[in-house]
Amino acid sequence: MKTELPMKTNHKMTRRATLAGIGSLAAVASLPGQQNPGPKLIGEAPGRIAPMADLVNVLEFEDVAARKLAPAVYDMIAGGDRTFFERITLRPRMMVDTMGLDLTTDLFGEKLFAPIIVGPAGGQQAFHPEGELATVRGASAAKAVMVVSNQSSQPIDKIAAASKTTLWYQVYPDADVNALKARIQQAVKAGCKAVCITVGAPYRNSTGTPSAARLAAAKSPSMDWAVIDQLRQGVIVPVLLKGIMSAEEADAAVKRGVQGIIVSNHGGLRLKGVVTPIEMLPSIADAVAGRVPVLVDGGFRRGSDIYKALALGATAVLLARPVLWGLAAYGADGVQAVVERLQTDLGRTMGQCGNPNLKSISRTAVKIHAA
Amino acid sequence: MSRFDPSRRRVLGGLGALAGASLLRGQQDPFRDHSRVPGLDEMVTTLDFEEVFRAKAPREIYDYTSYAAEGEFTLRRNREGFSWVDLVPRGVVDVSFIQTATEILGTKMAYPIMASPTSGHGNLHKDGEYATHQATTEASATPYIVSNASSFPFEKIAAAATGPVWFQLYPRQSVDETREILEKAQAAGCKAVAITMDQQATYYERPGHYRNLVETPGGRTPRRPTFHNPYRVPEGRLWYSWKFLDEIRPFVKVPFFAKGILTAEDAELCIEHGLNGVYVSNHGGRSVDYGPSTLEVLPEIVTAVRGRVPVIIDSGFRSGSDILKALALGASAVCVGRTARWGLGAFGAPGVKRVFEILQAELVMAMAQTGRPTLASIDRTLVKTRFR
Repeated sequence: MKTELPMKTNHKMTRRATLAGIGSLAAVASLPGQQNPGPKLIGEAPGRIAPMADLVNVLEFEDVAARKLAPAVYDMIAGGDRTFFERITLRPRMMVDTMGLDLTTDLFGEKLFAPIIVGPAGGQQAFHPEGELATVRGASAAKAVMVVSNQSSQPIDKIAAASKTTLWYQVYPDADVNALKARIQQAVKAGCKAVCITVGAPYRNSTGTPSAARLAAAKSPSMDWAVIDQLRQGVIVPVLLKGIMSAEEADAAVKRGVQGIIVSNHGGLRLKGVVTPIEMLPSIADAVAGRVPVLVDGGFRRGSDIYKALALGATAVLLARPVLWGLAAYGADGVQAVVERLQTDLGRTMGQCGNPNLKSISRTAVKIHAA
Repeated sequence: MSRFDPSRRRVLGGLGALAGASLLRGQQDPFRDHSRVPGLDEMVTTLDFEEVFRAKAPREIYDYTSYAAEGEFTLRRNREGFSWVDLVPRGVVDVSFIQTATEILGTKMAYPIMASPTSGHGNLHKDGEYATHQATTEASATPYIVSNASSFPFEKIAAAATGPVWFQLYPRQSVDETREILEKAQAAGCKAVAITMDQQATYYERPGHYRNLVETPGGRTPRRPTFHNPYRVPEGRLWYSWKFLDEIRPFVKVPFFAKGILTAEDAELCIEHGLNGVYVSNHGGRSVDYGPSTLEVLPEIVTAVRGRVPVIIDSGFRSGSDILKALALGASAVCVGRTARWGLGAFGAPGVKRVFEILQAELVMAMAQTGRPTLASIDRTLVKTRFR
């Protein structure tokens, strides 16, 4: 089955668009057999930035982001693995009154407006001049929790000052544990309500030809459960492990006292061929058995995607690429729109499937199919 | 001296004028570039009608008929479902006479094939549902389920021809208003009523429906209905409940059945709440995207129903062998929606008639080819399934 592609809307048949369209047609025709690496929207003039209201769904934000960004920057947030979502179908139930749609969920003593969290991503000024400051304004407007990366391009204090929402903090392990602990404390002091420790992403992301010299330069800090314990020590807010991908590690983490699990493969950016988080979610949720909240990220683009994760045992989902598409395309407004559209899509899916609230979405609401 | 001035300025100016001319607009629309549109006598399969419909209908109307919800996963899966069911033929069987007549919910029909309810036939042909009803009647009195959202009043459609009509209901939140609709439909002679249970949210993301709307005269844009919840979900029909169904159940004196059922649990509830049939449908992929294909959930629903009421099915049926597969999996009858719309939009009433004649002839041929001369001889042994 083909993975879905975004469809184009609102074909503006202005003279300028038509002429530009002819130009792009000519360019395509001159490169037979070559995929046009630019916009995927058929008939769309290259470089045109559609008004945000013209976009029909979150997938379409990617095309606008692609127009705004240099190819090398866009590549960092392009695509995403959605194949497993196509192996899950919904089991919609009829004649259930869902007029009082309620998407709220309790997480770490706080009532979330919706189970959708803006996930951590470093260096967001690459996508928009304001970077994380725009993202946090968008997340605040959409009433979504935002996870700030310790590799953010803006200092945590400035982000916290611009925030009207709950912030969490995400850290990569560091060889200098004390410096890392100081950063965590600073973030908690700035108001962050939870800390996510990323695991399973050793070595810094490096581009270019792999070589021993590069590996040595990007050397990985040591990691074991003792390091996790050490990082958690003295942190007064809940600590989650982000990057857990197996039931065994999830169980070990909970037994060790970790207060939350984020099932994640780091957007598939670290290694090709890694299983997707949504596929591992059911077994991890079973292993955790409600002892701590299980969150998930990776490929969420539609309300139904989020619905599937909730049915398979997630408390909430994190978004990264879609939020950055919104940021690159329209700044804070784009972030807000992406998050709000997914909130609305999730609500609509719940209405269609007979779920007035999140706790009514059980495992029987979906069916997982063989490949 | 030549009157043609091939200066750069003139040539570019000419090209510019060309770009603004209607010719190019026409060229942007490949559907309009057919030098010849095939005639009714050239239609061999039901799929042939779609191309003609596409060539003849305004794009907005074509888009509305053709496309479905969100990423159209379910639309694709509806067709994919048929590839997971293979027919296992028998050869040493007398098929010199093929029996296809049946009776469902008190309506006798020559074939287990009906017309699904679809809205606004007036957009497809000036005679709208009148033409559809005349055509289904001429096609061996095929029962026609008239949509609640028809272009013409149900009473007049029912009176337009002699064939059986059923009525599809979108209930109103007011029990009294719903009662009035039901009483009028029954007074006009509908032989059964289907209540559509899916499409609780009336606002769907249907990119394919929107994309050409802006360019139509009058500049129509997608509807943005109002909402009263913090999640911006238009309430639409979110108020649907089994309690409401119980309240309106007494108003229907003819057979009453539920359209849009996709789970065994809901099929069981239909029977518990006194309904007379289960209509398995995902609204042609136009309602919940990422829902299942109807064919893949048919077995679980047939098992749950245990023959207590008939099971009707639609969504994706295009040929006699498609229909035969559903019958083998336990359906009592199959409805077609888009296919009939293609016929109407392409050729009016004669097109609809031909669509049903083709499906009927294909079903007869499929039964003969598989050695199943009667509807009673069609059972699970006719198919090998590999649903995933």
